[in-house]
Amino acid sequence: MPLIPLRLTIPLQPLLAPLRWLTAHHWLRASDVDACLRFLQPAWALTRIHARVEARRWVAEDMLAIRLRPNGNWPGAQAGQHVQLFIERDGVRLSRSYSLTAQADGCIEIAVRRQPEGRVSAWLCEHLSIGDCVELGAPYGELRWPQEGAVLLAAAGSGITPLLGLLRDALGRGFSAPVRLLHFVREQGQRAFVEELQQLQARYPNLAVEWAVTAGAAGQRLSEEQLHAWREAHVLSCGPAGFVEQLRELVDGQAASLQVESFTPPQWRAEGERRPVRLQFVRSQREAVGDNQASLLEQAEAAGLKPEHGCRQGICTQCTCQLLEGAVRDLRSGEISHEPGQSIRICVSAPLGDVRVDL
Amino acid sequence: MREDRELSREEIDAFGAELDALRERTLADLGEADARYIRRVRAVVRACCWSGRLLLLAGWFPPTWLLGTLLLGLGKIIENMELGHNVMHGQYDWMNDPELAGRTYEWDIAGPSDFWRHTHNHIHHTYTNVLGMDDDIGYGVVRLFPEQRWKPYYRWQPLWVTLQALLFQYAVAIQHLRLDKVFKGRISREEVRPLLRQFNAKVGRQWVKDYLVFPLLALALGCNALAVLAGNVVANLIRNLWTFTVIFCGHFTEKAAVFAPSTLENETRGHWYLRQLKGSSNLQGSRLLHFMTGNLSHQIEHHLYPDVPARRYAAMAREVREIAARYGQTYNTGTMSGQFATVLRRIWRYRLPQAV
Repeated sequence: MPLIPLRLTIPLQPLLAPLRWLTAHHWLRASDVDACLRFLQPAWALTRIHARVEARRWVAEDMLAIRLRPNGNWPGAQAGQHVQLFIERDGVRLSRSYSLTAQADGCIEIAVRRQPEGRVSAWLCEHLSIGDCVELGAPYGELRWPQEGAVLLAAAGSGITPLLGLLRDALGRGFSAPVRLLHFVREQGQRAFVEELQQLQARYPNLAVEWAVTAGAAGQRLSEEQLHAWREAHVLSCGPAGFVEQLRELVDGQAASLQVESFTPPQWRAEGERRPVRLQFVRSQREAVGDNQASLLEQAEAAGLKPEHGCRQGICTQCTCQLLEGAVRDLRSGEISHEPGQSIRICVSAPLGDVRVDL
Repeated sequence: MREDRELSREEIDAFGAELDALRERTLADLGEADARYIRRVRAVVRACCWSGRLLLLAGWFPPTWLLGTLLLGLGKIIENMELGHNVMHGQYDWMNDPELAGRTYEWDIAGPSDFWRHTHNHIHHTYTNVLGMDDDIGYGVVRLFPEQRWKPYYRWQPLWVTLQALLFQYAVAIQHLRLDKVFKGRISREEVRPLLRQFNAKVGRQWVKDYLVFPLLALALGCNALAVLAGNVVANLIRNLWTFTVIFCGHFTEKAAVFAPSTLENETRGHWYLRQLKGSSNLQGSRLLHFMTGNLSHQIEHHLYPDVPARRYAAMAREVREIAARYGQTYNTGTMSGQFATVLRRIWRYRLPQAV
């Protein structure tokens, strides 16, 4: 039994303020304070978000929903957002991003799709048990439920998870315009949250849920006809990059609004000719010759540095560092940053020319 | 003196490749056990420091005062060497754990970590034992090799060394400020000012913590503040003397070599390995000795592989020794007392200009 119950960490939050001040001013080491707090309550920490596993249940053949109770450092999240979840395997801290499928009573629910080769998801699905503690990042994500009008939700695979979070929240708040949820899965057994969705459908007549199984000869594909009746709707879509791109092409310019999120990084297109650039890593006092194509993270690693990082796809902000001089290109958007002192995510930034970074 | 076989270019390349392969093998094997180990070390540091500080609250009563002081000194030694020094080398960066990240770790010693990461990790480890480049050769106050140009103040170097040993943490801390160059006007005062601010802030914090907060805490609890203050002073002193001894044994023993700056021209990976091997010296002893030196008793391995977790050095040493023997290179090792005696001999001998 922990000496302090997890729920109590929320009202006790103000007590930590002086300790935070002391650690911020280097009088105390945060890891020492955290060790003491952990002794009182395994999921307690000064600033980091830890959460206890409260429940786990299978919501599809390959998807596990996990209910987590975060400590008092959880800032609260909006429906449709995601969190980075950290675990340690073989001594190495690994992290993956998962979407919030529900929030209630100080708990959050995430859903983890078991990836056949996944180091994190396989471990979570097989070994994470009730009572365990995991670390979370701050919630992030830009998907927002439209104010009014018909809504079309198009999900593929585990893309259902943020959309389900949004849907539950919107219906719970009394959203009454028509909503249609299309969920594409490869196999029948991958349909997730079927029971919940059917219950929601029974309770809210404005909701229609459809599943499409894509495997096999009779497999259904995303088509123009499917979307035809929903031309004027607000479209939200989440799934692998290919799916999302296809949907974007089908509804482009016709939908009232379009929000998409894909969870496999798109193949970053190289820009221009490959040419050598000079990289200066100021903090580690190293210099290297790199190119203008690969990410700064990859190039720093190739130069023997070990920058802190997480997701490697521009999500978790762990690798954020200062650009001191020069310009970098965002590999996802092509956007260029050249402001000295600007924070950049090195995993998705490639140098445009010679750069100096605070690494 | 050293007896090293002259190696051909091909041999040096092969020598480097063998050492690289050992590094790769070790890195591939890192995992759970290494992570558990470094966290246990940290737990030991906490246990030593906190129990030491608690015992010091009991006042001048000799058994508790002595034990408390010793435990605090021990905690500081382990924190500085096996934990701080090794973590700051990035030996545990592969864990991706922010608490053990080499870039941000701050240790319990007067010198700011950022200074150390520059003077030690970069300068000393890159230019090991290269005259004029590696300031760790005598730290500017001691002449240890005949190749160092003699200056009049070296005559008194046994005294300087004693002072340096007693105040070792400050000697290490001010290294980065390059005060010699500031006095000579080669570095402007403007340039050194931000560093000085950082230095003052860290030293100030250390003093307030050890010499003010804990004595005052004792006073508030109705304990003997003076006993606490004295315990802290002596604990820091113990740590200074021990770290001084270990570090001087690392590169200044009889068989340690120094190099002319020209060595660095066109230096290959193999050459670099060879220089590290020649410039470093090991200490033989029990597992406790290795632990207490933060595995700097395996100084050779540490210099070959500064970012490999130090607990691996003992196993790597067996292979390094065998490789060195095959290439006809002296593997400089000996007992701590034996090695330290040769260091003291150097300090005594090279205080005079004519000694060569």
